[in-house]
Amino acid sequence: MSVKTVTKSTPHSFQKKLGCKIVEISALKETGIAEAAEAAIEAAKNGKTVPQHTFSGPVEHAIAHIEEAALHNLPDEQQRWYAIKVFERDDKVLSQLNIPADKLTHIESDIKAAETELDDDSESIITNERYIYIAEILKSCYKKKNAGALSSSDKIDKVVTNRWLGLPIFALIMFLVYWISMVAIGTPATDFVNDKVFDEGFHLFNDGGYTEIAENYAGASAVVDGYDSYIEENGTAPTGDFTYTVEDDETLEVSEVSASITDYENAKKTLEEIGDEPDPADYGIWIPSIPALAEKGLDAIHTADWLKGMILNGIVAGVGAVLGFLPQMLVLFLMPAFLEACGYMARIAFVLDRVFRKFGLSGKSFIPMLIGTGCGVPGIMASRTIENERDRRMTIMTTTFIPCSAKLPIIAMISGAIFHGSAWVATSAYFVGMASIIISGIILKKTKMFAGDPAPFVMELPAYRWPTFSNVLRSMWERGWSFIKKAGTIVLLSTMVVWALSNFGFVDGNFRLLESEELELSLLAYFGRAIAWIFAPLGWGTWQAAVGSITGLIAKENLVGTMGIFYGSGELTAWEALSQAFTPVTGYSFLVFNLLCAPCFAAIGAIRREMNNAKWTWFAIGYQCGFAYLIALMINQFGGAFTGNLNVVGLIFALAALCFMIYMLFFKKYKEATKLA
Amino acid sequence: MFAWLAANGGTILVSAILIAVVSLVVIKMRKDKKQGKSTCGGNCAHCAMCGSCHSK
Repeated sequence: MSVKTVTKSTPHSFQKKLGCKIVEISALKETGIAEAAEAAIEAAKNGKTVPQHTFSGPVEHAIAHIEEAALHNLPDEQQRWYAIKVFERDDKVLSQLNIPADKLTHIESDIKAAETELDDDSESIITNERYIYIAEILKSCYKKKNAGALSSSDKIDKVVTNRWLGLPIFALIMFLVYWISMVAIGTPATDFVNDKVFDEGFHLFNDGGYTEIAENYAGASAVVDGYDSYIEENGTAPTGDFTYTVEDDETLEVSEVSASITDYENAKKTLEEIGDEPDPADYGIWIPSIPALAEKGLDAIHTADWLKGMILNGIVAGVGAVLGFLPQMLVLFLMPAFLEACGYMARIAFVLDRVFRKFGLSGKSFIPMLIGTGCGVPGIMASRTIENERDRRMTIMTTTFIPCSAKLPIIAMISGAIFHGSAWVATSAYFVGMASIIISGIILKKTKMFAGDPAPFVMELPAYRWPTFSNVLRSMWERGWSFIKKAGTIVLLSTMVVWALSNFGFVDGNFRLLESEELELSLLAYFGRAIAWIFAPLGWGTWQAAVGSITGLIAKENLVGTMGIFYGSGELTAWEALSQAFTPVTGYSFLVFNLLCAPCFAAIGAIRREMNNAKWTWFAIGYQCGFAYLIALMINQFGGAFTGNLNVVGLIFALAALCFMIYMLFFKKYKEATKLA
Repeated sequence: MFAWLAANGGTILVSAILIAVVSLVVIKMRKDKKQGKSTCGGNCAHCAMCGSCHSK
């Protein structure tokens, strides 16, 4: 019991009633644990136990008979424990004791007599009487603080789990979690890793005046270049003010700037003073980027071009693209760890359970989905707690709709590259996941395979408490370390394979290493093009996007690594290239498809184990891919229609899919189950 | 032969390191699979039911 809820406890009274020393401990504050262990060792040294609890008459009568009939050869202090276990018909104890059949028949008649008299089965009788005994002890030994009044947890719950406020509060908290991790802290940290550690390099502590000189140089160069291009275009030097175009490095926005002849003269002077373009390595303490460092090392030992390409454009670009999200992931892992430790996660289950039940899903289905936010594999395994086979199968099929931690880099990549890092993208990804579960729940419940009422759901809400700093940090680190390990193993191998397949191909009948502009001739491009047409109605029928989605099946983070190789090897950064390859509509369609389609191979393996049936496994994967395809199709076609990119055939198919869903959701009647699952 | 080795020494060295790293990764992944360790990002180690999912 919690010390906070107790005003008066009497350890002496406890000790007397239980026959052992009582030690107060706090698992949270880690106090009293050593004392409790010492007391346990001391008690174990004693050897003899005195029974403190007496069961009701019929039970004690049966126990006495059992001891006398079959256990009198055992040491005195063990007889009672074995007798109770025999009374409970414990399989292991009965097989260990190997009691002769005639004695067992005699014992059985005693147990049955007690069961008849107390109108319950022997195991329940023991459990029930023990609970009554515990309640009696507690009643006499402690008094509840503010008995009958609401505790702080109850008061918070009145608001947080409120029928009307519960869901908006949940949405707000989720938005805050993603705003903090994706925008407030995550983006600057991820930008630093992506732009500095894996791209340009950075100055330690201060830049030694580099920024000022570089800005002066860039400004002066732009004016001089503008002057030169004016002459190139007009065939004569400007006599007064002249205009030139400037491209923003980050946004690629092109704007017109005007300058005067005086500006040009000053710019020329500045360039003469500075000399060559300033090298950041000449100022302050310069830390080169990992690719620059690796390239320098590989050049120094004259490594072959193909190997250099594999390391720089394959491993460093691919693994770097995944590791670039590490700071964001760490912040993102920290938030759920905090919510879990303070007790709010259980409230989310409670709040959403009420919603889920209305849509025909079992309340118990929510626990696997909650676990699935971390990883789909334990999420799918957690479906074992659902007794009803139909509910369990449906939960297995829908659990991976909720984005797992491996899908977060995909969300972060699309959000950052196409939506300027908007926190709404990540928040909406979770709501798309939840909506998919609800829609699937309603539709599937109306089919013969899944008809029937969901199983009831009972859960205990823990009291709110402040989490300990070390526990939250440990939880964050464990998940973060798994992320790093995965980048160093499965993602590393995949990026090497993807690089090799995308950089080797047949040119004029010869199989060789391709030049950077020949990627279209690679083996992977051939494979991608063979399947890309499937995704064309979704708005991203390119071989790169098709291959990215396929490599995501190995591990979802792979998609980011693959995109890093395809889009990050040219002059533009991966994000810039992505923002050109995708529109917001096609980008969101790509994101939603990859969030909802079949999970990674590890999760598919878990589905196979839990379904214990190949047909059901294929049905689950087929349903997930089909559902993801239809939703992405609708996003692209309806989005395209609104943004002026109308495709009549695609729109007809999208409307047909929408009509089918509306019919299944609102008009098709529920079919009652004809037999129990 | 010596000239070829001298010219390609860097490539051979880096290839050898890469093969060693890949071999270690594959061995580690196979070992983890045999020990029932999950390849996923989630950590089941603190789950009370871990033993029932991941056989030791």
